Amino acid sequence: MTELYGNEPMMEMFLFETSQLIEQLEQLIISCEKSGHYTEDTINEIFRIMHTIKGSSSMMMQDSISAISHSIEDLFFFLRENKHKVINNSAISDLVLEGIDLIKVEIEKLKNGDKADGNTSELQDRIKSFLADMQIDTSSQVVSELKSPDNEKQQYYLSMDKKKIIASKYKNAFKATIHFEEDCEMENIRAYTIVHNVCDITDEFFHIPENLIDDDESAGKIRQKGFQIYLKTDSSYEEVQDFFMQTLFLRELKLDQIEDSEYEQLRDAKQKMNDKEEFIASKLSEEHHEDNHEVNHEGNKEIQSISTKQNVISVNMAKLDKLMDLVGEMVIAEDMVIQNPDIKGLELENFQKAARQLQKISSEIQDIVMSIRMVPLSATFLKMHRIVRDMSKKLGKKVNLKIIGEETEVDKNVIEHISDPIMHLVRNAIDHGIEFPEERTAKNKPEEGTVTLEAKNAGNDVLVIVKDDGRGLNKEEILKKARENGLLYKAEAEMSEREIYNMIFLPGFSTKDNVTEFSGRGVGMDVVVKNIETIGGSVSIDSTPDQGSVITLKIPLTLAIIDGMNIRVGSSYYTIPTISIRESFRPQEDSIFTDPNGNELIMVRGQCFPILRLHELLKVRTDITRFTDGIITIAEQDGRTVCLFSDELIGQQQVVVKALPEYIRKLNKTKALAGCTLLGDGSISLILDITGLANIKGLA
Amino acid sequence: MKRVLIVDDASFMRMTIGMMLKKHNFEIVGEAENGIEGVRKYKELNPDIVTMDITMPEISGIEALKQIREFDPKANVIMITAMGQEALVREAVMNGAKSFLVKPFKEEQLINVLNKILGV
Repeated sequence: MTELYGNEPMMEMFLFETSQLIEQLEQLIISCEKSGHYTEDTINEIFRIMHTIKGSSSMMMQDSISAISHSIEDLFFFLRENKHKVINNSAISDLVLEGIDLIKVEIEKLKNGDKADGNTSELQDRIKSFLADMQIDTSSQVVSELKSPDNEKQQYYLSMDKKKIIASKYKNAFKATIHFEEDCEMENIRAYTIVHNVCDITDEFFHIPENLIDDDESAGKIRQKGFQIYLKTDSSYEEVQDFFMQTLFLRELKLDQIEDSEYEQLRDAKQKMNDKEEFIASKLSEEHHEDNHEVNHEGNKEIQSISTKQNVISVNMAKLDKLMDLVGEMVIAEDMVIQNPDIKGLELENFQKAARQLQKISSEIQDIVMSIRMVPLSATFLKMHRIVRDMSKKLGKKVNLKIIGEETEVDKNVIEHISDPIMHLVRNAIDHGIEFPEERTAKNKPEEGTVTLEAKNAGNDVLVIVKDDGRGLNKEEILKKARENGLLYKAEAEMSEREIYNMIFLPGFSTKDNVTEFSGRGVGMDVVVKNIETIGGSVSIDSTPDQGSVITLKIPLTLAIIDGMNIRVGSSYYTIPTISIRESFRPQEDSIFTDPNGNELIMVRGQCFPILRLHELLKVRTDITRFTDGIITIAEQDGRTVCLFSDELIGQQQVVVKALPEYIRKLNKTKALAGCTLLGDGSISLILDITGLANIKGLA
Repeated sequence: MKRVLIVDDASFMRMTIGMMLKKHNFEIVGEAENGIEGVRKYKELNPDIVTMDITMPEISGIEALKQIREFDPKANVIMITAMGQEALVREAVMNGAKSFLVKPFKEEQLINVLNKILGV
């Protein structure tokens, strides 16, 4: 097994599958808790999940995970066998969720290449004692079940009772002592397999230990002393030896031929030893077990209805990223061919036809690859149920989570970046937004607060909206806090409501005086903003006192390919996301003027904009320095406008966004650049960050 | 080369067993992720031996075992199980399972059992 430990693909598969199962389990538990009871189906399903995790983790030698899943499996085994029992739902959910969390932590450790060495014994003990409590409650019932009249069902390994009266019909008697291999486990069942097979050669035999199924210690006894079976048969010594040698996991076989009398003696001695009561009990519990089997069967049949057939394969993310890159390269290469300077101005009808066909196919490939990477937000959204549950329980607030549009899809990379921000916002909404039940009743609001999590498509963006019907933001409080922390960037009176609210996104801002366990662990809304901005999104907030707040995350559908307008400054090329461009034009001499501070401004339809000379900002040498010789582009993002001056427009193109190389990122202190891309002719173009540029303008 | 069908709902287990077997020159003729598929693939592929998980959705490994043995009374099926399933394993043995492996099992255990059953 050790050589498997470091086996990457197996570890990867193990982690992937276990994470999925854990997530599935979490949803099951939470939906059960909501509906107030565990149905038989879900108990079976949970049992099955824990069983799978236990098995897989033990194969991977992950003892902590296997121990916890084993405990939970035991718990649900009991629930499955005692379905009539009224169970304490909430306590079970708590225990299982704790177990889930523990497993999650261990999986995280393994993902990071650490050892999963969490201490599970404490939770195991609690599950055990919880189970023990339930067992005490039900034990009376079990006893009464056991005492129910049994229909005399002859089990073959008890058959010697009958045979005792009949004179033996076999001539040879044998005594076999069998030792199984170490760690083969379930020695009692292995012995049972032998007993089962012995029936093929004789019907006169007995064995020690006698009770292989119900005696929990029988496995241990066999491990120590071996399994002894005495039999009478017509077969020869060799035949009997051959028979036993077929035993799987056999370590040692000792086979002796014994006298008839010895056989009888031993058998009678054993008979006497068997207390009559014990005998009946074992028989009864045998019956009991039969019942259990039928239960299992029903259970298994019912699982059918809930499991769905999987038509999905899992692909390594790295491969998808690579594919995406290649498609990007292909789009560029295609441009290089079709717009090749060598064929410029030539009449090539057939070439154009073929080129169009190629363009069509490559754009289809691009769409497909993008769609492969698209994942619905549902998994991220559903996770929030857990957070809402935990928080409302701890804080004593009543909160209902409403989820809308969870089927909305975004790029896989985007999901990774927005999970944490969404979680933070939901926590904030419950912690700071939603009031306590008394407070809500006093305000004539329903006792139960509602947090709405909504996703929808809006053009090239996805909007994720976190809405609560709580107390809303307090303007005075925000201003006060901003004053205290020196965050005011302009006169209070001049600030719009929106600007005031937006101050909560500034680093170092937190209106809650007491940092609670859930929100405000020293990280504030500014982290949310930072996370969203790294993927080119934006955050905005709106609030009405006593009616609640709405926080909207605007997230690009994908990070990889955007529509861009290429511009030239000197000999360098830049790309502006087309979506942010409001207009481009060659300015008239008379619309441009200079203010007393030396700032150059342009008047467009009565509105004044300061002009940002890109060649100055980016330190590029160009011959075009007069505004009337170049092009003015007005771009807008998040309600902020910049007016850029460049040499000329090159044209519009879909560009593949690549991250800036490290050395440029270090130089990019102005935050004017968002990334880079390759143009059709193979030259490099830098993608301008409009928000970043707007900030520079603000500072100027 | 002996032909093996792996029936297990956990892809991790299918992968693990598959890798162990491939190392020892077994041919994995098929994999199934539930009992129904397992039975269907058995009929279709006629493998020399089947490794069968017990706890699975759709129909359990035991039900699949029964159906396979009904179709082919000589079928070699070994059960893959874990502690806590003694009663089910017993039922499997009664229904003709050739042997069983208890997770976590070692590579050599798996190979030995298969070789012995197949008389290699």
